[in-house]
Amino acid sequence: MPMRHLSPGISPELTEHVLRVALRNGGDYAEVFAEDRSSLSVRMDDGRLEEVSSGIDQGASIRLVKGPTTSFGFTDSLDESALVALAERLSASVRGAAALPSSIRVITLEPRPLPRLMPIAVETAAKTDLVRAAESVARERSAEIRQVAVGYSEGRQRTWVGSSRGPFATDDRTRVVLSVNVVAQRDGSIQTGYETLAGTVGFEIFDGEAHLRTALEAADKALIMLDARPAPGGRMPVILANGFGGVLFHEACGHGLEADFIVKKTSIWEGRRGSRVAAPFVTAYDDGVTPGMWGSNAIDDEGTPTEATVLIEEGILTGYITDVLRGEKLGLASTGNGRRQSYRHLPYPRMTNTYFAAGGVSAADLIADTPRAFYAKSLSGGQVDPATGDFVFGVSEGYLIEGGRVGTPLKGATLIGNGAEVLEAIDAIADDLEVRAGMCGKEGQAVPVGTGQPTLRLRELTVGGTAV
Amino acid sequence: MTELAGRELIDVGRSVLERASGLPGDIEVYVQHSETLTVKVYQGEVESLVTGEPRGIGVRYVADGRAGYAYTGDFAPAALDEVVAMAATNAAAADVDEHVSLPQAAESYPEVPGLWRPSLLSTPVERKIALAIEAEKTALGSSEIETVEESAYVDSATRMAIVSSKGVEAYGEQTFCYVYLSAHARRGDDVQTGLGFVTGREPQELDPVSAAQDAALQASRLLGARPCPTGKYTVVLDREVAAAVFSVVARALNADAVQKGRSLFAGKVGELVAAPSFSLVDHGLHPDGMASASFDDEGVPRKVTPLIEDGVLRGFLHDTYTAAREGGGARSTGNAERGSYRGSPGVAASNLMLASGEGTLEELFARVGTGLYVVGITGLASGANPVSGEFSVGARGLLIEGGALTTAVREVTIASDLVGLLSNVGDRAGDARWIPFSGSVYTPSFAVTDVTVAGT
Repeated sequence: MPMRHLSPGISPELTEHVLRVALRNGGDYAEVFAEDRSSLSVRMDDGRLEEVSSGIDQGASIRLVKGPTTSFGFTDSLDESALVALAERLSASVRGAAALPSSIRVITLEPRPLPRLMPIAVETAAKTDLVRAAESVARERSAEIRQVAVGYSEGRQRTWVGSSRGPFATDDRTRVVLSVNVVAQRDGSIQTGYETLAGTVGFEIFDGEAHLRTALEAADKALIMLDARPAPGGRMPVILANGFGGVLFHEACGHGLEADFIVKKTSIWEGRRGSRVAAPFVTAYDDGVTPGMWGSNAIDDEGTPTEATVLIEEGILTGYITDVLRGEKLGLASTGNGRRQSYRHLPYPRMTNTYFAAGGVSAADLIADTPRAFYAKSLSGGQVDPATGDFVFGVSEGYLIEGGRVGTPLKGATLIGNGAEVLEAIDAIADDLEVRAGMCGKEGQAVPVGTGQPTLRLRELTVGGTAV
Repeated sequence: MTELAGRELIDVGRSVLERASGLPGDIEVYVQHSETLTVKVYQGEVESLVTGEPRGIGVRYVADGRAGYAYTGDFAPAALDEVVAMAATNAAAADVDEHVSLPQAAESYPEVPGLWRPSLLSTPVERKIALAIEAEKTALGSSEIETVEESAYVDSATRMAIVSSKGVEAYGEQTFCYVYLSAHARRGDDVQTGLGFVTGREPQELDPVSAAQDAALQASRLLGARPCPTGKYTVVLDREVAAAVFSVVARALNADAVQKGRSLFAGKVGELVAAPSFSLVDHGLHPDGMASASFDDEGVPRKVTPLIEDGVLRGFLHDTYTAAREGGGARSTGNAERGSYRGSPGVAASNLMLASGEGTLEELFARVGTGLYVVGITGLASGANPVSGEFSVGARGLLIEGGALTTAVREVTIASDLVGLLSNVGDRAGDARWIPFSGSVYTPSFAVTDVTVAGT
């Protein structure tokens, strides 16, 4: 693998110069965002190491805001001439007296150590070996495993961002993800199992053969579901397992707390800050700052340091998820949630890692205390309409709980509910908090997010199976 | 910047090929350059205006049955050297597969007229902004519409070239534009949302009023919606919903999925897999189809491929690799696709076409008598599995009673399995149109019997 030289990015001095050009015909806000990204992925499928792929991207964008209008453009070069030309083009879209940017003020955070094992420093052969080992563990789990696909992907994204309000900040983000996708078959029944292992970390994530556990979990999920009966259709109590059950908060509540929906008054949560939205034992966070989690960064994509924001405190709605400009409209400081897919995209208020805080009972006791419920052990994703709060999520591994015991596996269920109603329906939270990795889509942009929760119980939710 | 038009893209490809001339394997260079514009308006003013020229190069290198891939967004000479070196290095890490190869040059390419309209780039941005403003204004003029959360005009002019050491030298260009909006209707505390869109190849083709009317109607007629009783229903899938569902079905008609044991249609060619009235074609050349082109993303001519005819499975979609693996004279159906220059090609549908039925949508409701008209679904990505065939998604719509629409319905799920769903596809209206989201699909509204609706 040829080692490429690391891009020097853009300096605070160049940033200030470009901001001056962008604002020469006026404007309320201007920002320069630059990025240098390298990626490598390995794909194994059908028993064969199919492909190693790698690539590089670099470029910068400028945002110029005047009144209600944002003008945005990007260039694939970090050269001064390209950046100045872009700033000139954007400045031509406004008319007025020049505005002056504040002096650039470099934000320095307590330095975060780079990952112990930078993926770029690890031989490609070690990555293909890892993928082969995960594949073979999953395949050998049972004769009923018919197909295994394993993907490994690494990326390093270095960012530089400065705005006319003064702050200039840089970040250096390394992410690694392994995904395992298994097909199991018995007679006419085919089932799939999917698991990932991911973090804002380096190759050390695989210490202790963690990738083999991920492979086994994917295989077992597919095998268990071979015994599944069709899920029922209708309303019943629901228990959501810890970890990816956190898709509940993400869809039912998190999107509606994003400030762009609040500003436009198109969220069910608009105007409800300070009011009770859940039982007193419910507390929820958006936490972009804890190192290592999949949705964490040191600095967001607007130059604001990330933080842990309390969204719901003991049942009271306390916070929104905001970027700089929407925050201003709401009279709030940015919560470090201005995020974008790449330099080719405008930032929006986006979640980082969201989760419910742990409660006091064990998950085992919570289940034992439940006469009958649908148990969603693993979810495959979801979707919400923030204006109505109606959300769905797909269940990839479900069971029937009867008499306090986890029984028959159930397949083919989507859960549907309403955000405001479902928060009020939480009647118990266990102590086993876990946060899992996922990709969140909004405005055509995908960003890494963590979704988590302890095991929790809902008094009632609609289970969308086929059996009636 | 237009200096990369036409010949220039081919020349970039050739210069990458030359850099690989000392290497023993075959090489394919994909070069893409787009000009894009997205304008969003809110309350009569431009909220954001985003312009850009995304471009990039993807290189596939094949030697001794091993393939490697690399990409770059940087066109500088040093980056071109590096992308070739990366692709070759990456290939060395792959396992050998005798079926891996690059396609030969085609003798000729079919012509698809009208894909490129110069007026898309020459139309002043003010005219484009006016389209989004007109859509917003029209929707707000509708009595129960309170807010238009977003009204947008989006366009792109894309040029791409494929050049390979096997002699492929292909150049294609196309323009595309659309207006979409999201309208919110309110009655008391009840809020409902509706989406509307119109698409075209140049701004002159777009009618923002019709997009706005669709959005306003969808939002306002869902006011007062509540869950309906759980049970088995005949559902009528609106065209957008039908398009999304058939896109999932098409993922199981992909030869790569079939060969790797990830398709519920594996081994069923020649068998009845759907209702006898059901036919599905992949049409890569239709002038109105968004995915139409002279050639696919590895330079193989696009064509027309019947998939299901009168309920009988006829075949699968192929690229060069799956056709070679299939053997027995199988040829690529011209269905190689890549999301962008960052990815190597894989098999995907181009334009899916379903035959239109008869009469208006209202006449279809009259024929169905009792059921649920589904105007929107959510959670398709997490709720539909083309491998196991499971299908359960959130739905909203209106009840059909006495042959006409009555009460609005929300917060229910519709569930079936994909095999059952295809077998129970029945009557359809004569209202087929192109749906550009979730792939490109031309479909009418469809009735499907025996679907489980979970509500109260």
